[in-house]
This record gives sequence, C-alpha cells and structure tokens, in this order.
Amino acid sequence: MRSENEIANANASTSACDSVVTLSSAKKAFGKNEVLKDISLSVNKGDVLAIIGPSGGGKSTLLRCLTLLETLDSGRLAYGDVVVCDNDGQDKAVYAGKQTLRAAKTHFGLVFQNFNLFPHYSALKNVADPLICVQKMPKADAYDRARELLAKMGLADKADMVPCALSGGQQQRVAIARALAMNPEVLFFDEPTSALDPELTREVLRVIRELAAEHMTMAIVTHEMSFARDVADQLIFMDDGRVVEQGRAQDVIGDPQHERTRVFLANYQQG
Amino acid sequence: MIGLLGDGLLLTTQIFFVTLIGSLPLGVVVALCRMSRFKVVAGIARFYISILRGTPLMLQLMAIMFGPYYLFGLQMGSDWKYWACDIGFILNYAAYFGEIYRSGIQSVPRGQYEAANVLGYSRAQTFMKIVLPQVIKHILPAMGNEIITLVKDTSLAFVLGIGEMFSQAKALSAREVSMVPYALAALVYWVFCLIIEFVLGKVEKKLDYYHA
Repeated sequence: MRSENEIANANASTSACDSVVTLSSAKKAFGKNEVLKDISLSVNKGDVLAIIGPSGGGKSTLLRCLTLLETLDSGRLAYGDVVVCDNDGQDKAVYAGKQTLRAAKTHFGLVFQNFNLFPHYSALKNVADPLICVQKMPKADAYDRARELLAKMGLADKADMVPCALSGGQQQRVAIARALAMNPEVLFFDEPTSALDPELTREVLRVIRELAAEHMTMAIVTHEMSFARDVADQLIFMDDGRVVEQGRAQDVIGDPQHERTRVFLANYQQG
Repeated sequence: MIGLLGDGLLLTTQIFFVTLIGSLPLGVVVALCRMSRFKVVAGIARFYISILRGTPLMLQLMAIMFGPYYLFGLQMGSDWKYWACDIGFILNYAAYFGEIYRSGIQSVPRGQYEAANVLGYSRAQTFMKIVLPQVIKHILPAMGNEIITLVKDTSLAFVLGIGEMFSQAKALSAREVSMVPYALAALVYWVFCLIIEFVLGKVEKKLDYYHA
C-alpha cells in the first residue's frame, strides 16, 4: 500500500504541466450503486470544459469528487503538481495528508447549484471573509478586493445586502465573486443556473461568458446546451457513470457520434 | 413579609443563574455526545436525555438529595441540599438544552458546511463563524421557552427545604393565614419572566436582519 510519504514524494517529483486538473480512472460507488465507472478527464489552463448528461449520470458526484467533498474509491487526482490521491497496489485511492489537501484546495473554487452563501453575512462579507479567515489577507485589502469583484459582477450597489434580500441571480453572482476572490486556478460550477428562471439564468451566464473571455479555466456542469456550445472549448457527455462522448464542444453538440448523445441532445432541440 | 419574600427571591435568582451557567455549556456536551459517530457515546447520551426528561424534576432533586445516604450510607453535610438543588437543576436542564442545540445544529444545511469546506475554512472556523451564529438564531425561541420555564421550575426546590421564594410564600401564607403572599410571589415570578421576555425580544430583533 502506498503511504502518504510516497504521495508527497510523487508531489515533489511531478513536473508542472499545462493541465490544471487531471483525473484518471476515477471510480466511486455509494454502497452497491456505482456512480462513477472509470472516468478520466483533464482541464487545460484557460480552457472551459462543459459536462453534460442526464440527471443521475454522475455529473454532480464527479464534481464533488474533484472538489474533495467526496472521496474517490479508486483513481488518481492531481491539481497541477499537487497529487491529491493515487492508487495503491490494490487499485484503492489513497489520499494525501491534510497539508497537501489544504494546498490542493487553494487551486480550485466551486459554485453551487443553490449558491450556499452564508445567510448571516452581507454580500460583501461573504466575499471578504474567506480572504480574511483563510488567506489571512489584511481586512482593508480583503474588503477592497471584495468590492472590486462585486462591482465586476454588477453588484456594487448590493454589497451591504444580506443574501435573502437578493434575487437568485444576484446571489449566484455573489457566490461567483466569492469563489473568484480566492484566486483559484480552476473554477467548478455545479448546475449554476438550475435554480433560476430564464431571465436570472441569462444574467449569470453572461458573467460566466465574461470569465471565459478572460480565459478563466472552468469546468461547468450544465443543462444549458446552447451556452455549452458557445462558451465551452471541450465537452464531456456523461451517462450512467461513464464518459459516453467527448471532444470539442461545438463538434459534440453539432454532430454527436454516439447514439446515446444524439437521443439526449434531441430532447433539447425539441424543447 | 416583603423581607422574607425578598430573601426567597434572592435564592430563586441564584438557582436560576447557577442553573443557566452550568447547563448551557453542559448542554453542548450532551448535544455533541448525542450526535457522536460512536454508537456507545450516542446511546449513553440518549439514555441520559430520556431519563432526565422522562421523570419529574422534583423526584430527580429528591434522588440527588437522599441518594447518597440511602444508596451508599453517606452522611452529607447540612448544606448538601443547596448542592443537590444546583446539581439537579443543571443535569435536568442540560438534557433539554442539549436537544435544543441538536435541533439547531441539524437545521444548518449541509451546503453551508460544504461551502466553508471548499473555501478552506478549518473545522473550528466553520463551527464558530458559519454554523454557530445560525444555530443561535434558530434556537432562540425554543431557548426562551425553556428559560422561562426554569424561572417557575425553581419553585420545585421547596422539596429540599430550600427557602426560595415559593417556600417563603408558603410559610408566610400559613403563618398569616392569607393568600396574599402567594399572590405577591406570583406577581414577582411574572415580572421576572417579563424581564427575560424583554431581553430575548431584543436579541431576536437584533438577529432579525436575515433569514436563512
């Protein structure tokens, strides 16, 4: 069995590469229910990856494993040259020590489907507090940065409001600002607009488009096909815990090769 | 008459505050044990809560008062009744507070923990900065109920022969063959509760700037 030390050594020896996050042969089961069956993916710096597929296909679990909210049963996960977990001799994922996991967490941010803002903090404090608490940034600097990001999200005038006084779209934009504030190398989105009506969806997607234009590295689980086609460079279609099809977003959506993908996408074209 | 009732009120107030100071933190321990991953610990906490909530506080006070003698033949000193009173109240209220805390902690959605986790908050930071403030807001009404009940429950200490306000009223009433001492005591209990309601109302209002 591989020890934490060996993983630490692997961390030291792996050289930096273009890929911000690399996942190989990931497997995850809840009891007897295999949710991820041998998933591999990587996201290159500056790329936008869209992950689409039917509900229950494992997309959210994949994202939760990538963001360390769930642990893989088997597989290897690395952020740049920080190896989060790797297989031992029996194909069982062994996770690195606390220190390494903490380091890995600085590499990514996550935007949730239902925002998960801290309800007792103002929009401004939601963005600033992690900077103060986690990154130990001086208060004044943290609040400056938070103000700047909220302004970028078009929320300069909402800074002092608490989440419950904001619309869903505004809350989600605060959540994006909060994740961006930490300066992640890659930003994950878990169905960021699924809790929003079409109008609010549009304002959130606009923000994500702007981030893509600035070459923010992102991986987005979404049901917005036209958005995925326009914004994503790469696209993965997942079903039943497997990657059914992947490639350039425009190619997969415009000309799906796999029957399952075609059936899935047809539902959207009809709608 | 006022003097004696005043002495009683002093003891009542003392029982009230000693109980809060002891049971508010002990309740946290009870809640954490009750939610423990270790089945044995959770089981013991569950049993503790069940007994303390399932039997009359008056009997619990008597058990602590006389238990040492009848069970172990121990002769306790003359001020044991005050200790027995405080211990009984603290143990009993910790059981109730523990359950209130538990409901509060469980009311905080998992997404709050997950957001804090992904942002890199430590476990202690997550609890102190994110979870606890939300728990306090959530449990305030239930806590208020329990604290007001405590004011009146202090009268149960009369079974131990402690001269708190109710005991004094009882003695005065017998001596003067009058219901006035009882009426006065009732008035004082009510005013005591009014003050608590006022304070709790202030705190609730202060936390009213958001809802989850």
